[in-house]
Amino acid sequence: MADLPLSGVRVLDLAQVYAGPTATRLLADLGADVIKVEGVTRMDITRNFVMPDNDSTDDYWNKAGYFVLRNGGKRSLTVDLGEGAGGAGVGILKKLAAECDVVVESFTPHVMAKLGMDYESLKAIRPDIIMISMSGYGQNGPWRDFAGYGMGLEPASGMSSITGYPGGDPLRTGISFTDPYSGIVGAGAVLSALVYRRRTGNGQYIDLSEQEAAIPIVGYALMNYAMNGRLPERKGNRSHWYAPQGCYRCADDDDWLIITVRDDAEWQALCAAIGRPDAAAKYPDVASRFEAHDEIDAMIEAWTESRDHMTAMHELQKGGVLAAAVLTPKEELFDEHLKERGFFDMVDTRCAGPRPVPHQLGAKFSAFEMDTARPSPKLGEHNKEILQDLLGMSDEEVAALAEQKVIGDEPVTAVPAQVMRMFVQWPLTSYMNMGALRVIEPDYREQLGITVPGHEPES
Amino acid sequence: MDLPDTALDGIRVVDLSQGIAGPYCTKLLADLGAEVIKVEPPDGDYTRRLGPFPGDVPDPEKSGLFIHLNGNKKSVTLDINEPAGRDALRRLLGTADVFVESEMPGRLSELELGYHDVHGDFPNLVYTSVTPFGQNGPYAGYKGNSLAAMALSGLMYVTGDPDKPPLVTGGEPGEYFGALHAWVGTLAAIEHHDQTGAGQHVDVSCLEALGSADEYNTTMYAWLGAVRRRFYSRHHIPTYPSEIFPCRDGHIVVIGGATGFPLLMAILIEQPELENNPLFQNLWLRTIQWEDFEKILRPYLAEHDWQDLLTRAQELRVPFAAVLDPQTLLDNEHLRERAFFAEIEQAGVGKLPIACHIFRMSETPLRCGPAPALGADNPVLEGSA
Repeated sequence: MADLPLSGVRVLDLAQVYAGPTATRLLADLGADVIKVEGVTRMDITRNFVMPDNDSTDDYWNKAGYFVLRNGGKRSLTVDLGEGAGGAGVGILKKLAAECDVVVESFTPHVMAKLGMDYESLKAIRPDIIMISMSGYGQNGPWRDFAGYGMGLEPASGMSSITGYPGGDPLRTGISFTDPYSGIVGAGAVLSALVYRRRTGNGQYIDLSEQEAAIPIVGYALMNYAMNGRLPERKGNRSHWYAPQGCYRCADDDDWLIITVRDDAEWQALCAAIGRPDAAAKYPDVASRFEAHDEIDAMIEAWTESRDHMTAMHELQKGGVLAAAVLTPKEELFDEHLKERGFFDMVDTRCAGPRPVPHQLGAKFSAFEMDTARPSPKLGEHNKEILQDLLGMSDEEVAALAEQKVIGDEPVTAVPAQVMRMFVQWPLTSYMNMGALRVIEPDYREQLGITVPGHEPES
Repeated sequence: MDLPDTALDGIRVVDLSQGIAGPYCTKLLADLGAEVIKVEPPDGDYTRRLGPFPGDVPDPEKSGLFIHLNGNKKSVTLDINEPAGRDALRRLLGTADVFVESEMPGRLSELELGYHDVHGDFPNLVYTSVTPFGQNGPYAGYKGNSLAAMALSGLMYVTGDPDKPPLVTGGEPGEYFGALHAWVGTLAAIEHHDQTGAGQHVDVSCLEALGSADEYNTTMYAWLGAVRRRFYSRHHIPTYPSEIFPCRDGHIVVIGGATGFPLLMAILIEQPELENNPLFQNLWLRTIQWEDFEKILRPYLAEHDWQDLLTRAQELRVPFAAVLDPQTLLDNEHLRERAFFAEIEQAGVGKLPIACHIFRMSETPLRCGPAPALGADNPVLEGSA
């Protein structure tokens, strides 16, 4: 296998939370040396999310599942960006920027300028630098200074206006949709700039607004408004184009299957598969199927209700019908197709033991294998090697920075440590009672076949 | 020497894909300056039939979805079911840096146009396949679409109301995610090519592309043994509330953020005494007793307009957000000042806004352009012989 395409590319990663770290995780998977910059007073907040077994003792910030997913393969540097030690932290970052090919940041606009690290300043330090700012609303315009959270940006992109049950309010996806989406866009923007730089030697500045990045998903509805002045109605799981399409109840508890019939041949196939050849003739074209959608749904559900969703999916697909089981997150982990595709890596996270982690890029390459199965760094894990190898600091200089609290490897929080330890534990029993969890399985490690330190199976 | 003014200047892409995922991938390559030759069957990419159409009159040259996805491309028509069509496609591949296709796995191999069939002749070619489930594995031969990717990725199970069926996200997100991953994969392969001279096969699965957006769903099982379930699309990470509520003239996203509770939210809804309410002081209590919290919040929102709520919240640095629709997106002052939408002149349709500038590059801005008429560039085929 060849070298990874980004080997030799160094990235200074000032981004936190979700979108920016997704972009830099992809660059790391493709071979870049990504230096993730945090501070002991501003560590990535996602180091607080999803503790192994809800256990927040010891160095919990190195164990968080949420952090592991987006930060595998990066190196961690903690530097204080405040006035401490005469602004030594910012000085370090500027020196590091001179050693980097790409700078990624996700602050609200103006923060980088305040630090003296806007594109013009960085370009003066490193003429061919590529810099990307990934913000909620972009670097100019009346909303640029808005605080942008992922949960707000999906609705602001227009997507929620076309998501929801018929007659109901707009809804969000059950994840912070625009974060992973704009993370991939950011990675592609940086790759495009790297292709250009390889040919011309020139770097550039990229302004990415997470709101804007996702707007093209609304393309059909935008065109319908532009062409016909028509606003979309929310229609649950139904289609603009095809009928029937829906989510159908299967035999088990909270067990569902989706079906889309895209043409008359697929309709014939569905009717044959569910033993209703009469319906094939009764609703021969898409117009008649739209007209009778409710009746057809009832007919399909009468068939699906006597099967579990996996059985139904395989049976229908073998009969030429587009059908798919609505997998629970657990079923996804055990899915035979994703397993054969190697979608989950068993990552030795070290602090939380081995855990399955999904790929962050849904592409496979025949000429190289992405470096996807690496653990995320402990807070400040690479302070010394980065400062010494890249900036030539001595042991004494590094020790002095630690002494002055410019660098460190434990978080300093605004609230007392014991409060934080309580906060990062989730009220799982309450979630279960509310109905926000389907089940909690204490034997999940055995099911996944993983052995976690402190939880060795009894012999 | 004059520098090229686009990032992918000089790269030629031959695009056999149809639908959304492949075409949006190649549209991004085209907007970045690549020359994209779209190879359509004689009756055209099927999105030419999906509309929307002006006045709802079907016309393959006026499909809104097609125009949205195929700007800046050239169109040639070839019937690859015929030997002459396959020969012409091979000749085109001989001139190309990148090939993108979205056929069912195995289909192009039957036509001797699979990766292994052409790699020997064109070892430098980046060959990108974008399919619902990827080139191998038990579901490789299954039919798929964005809805199937939502279902199998686990995202659908966690989206929607607990007492209703799982809900799909609108706008075919599985296709757009597949497009982005194909685009990133293709760019990575171009980087590899520029260093080694070698092409390769990039195998993109829309299911895995969307599955990679798994924020913490499989993680909750892999770290906690907990199986997450849809609950008003609400997060388990400590952020309640962070969802859409009705207000007087529409909807508003209410998010407290890191600093909103208890004081700023109490100020915002003009009931400062709520600062001392346990539901405002205690995040977990508010999360669990959310119905009590909503009883306080909803009546206030019902009497106020979204722009007023948004402006006042953001003045307090509380990250409320707007719920925009096609009309309010196109009218939005912020997007206007950023010139997000580009106006194109589409032959036979007239002026249309295109959602184009998904990022701004200072040296090589994205281009936005109209979509081609079916077969408009067929003379290109003569030149490639």
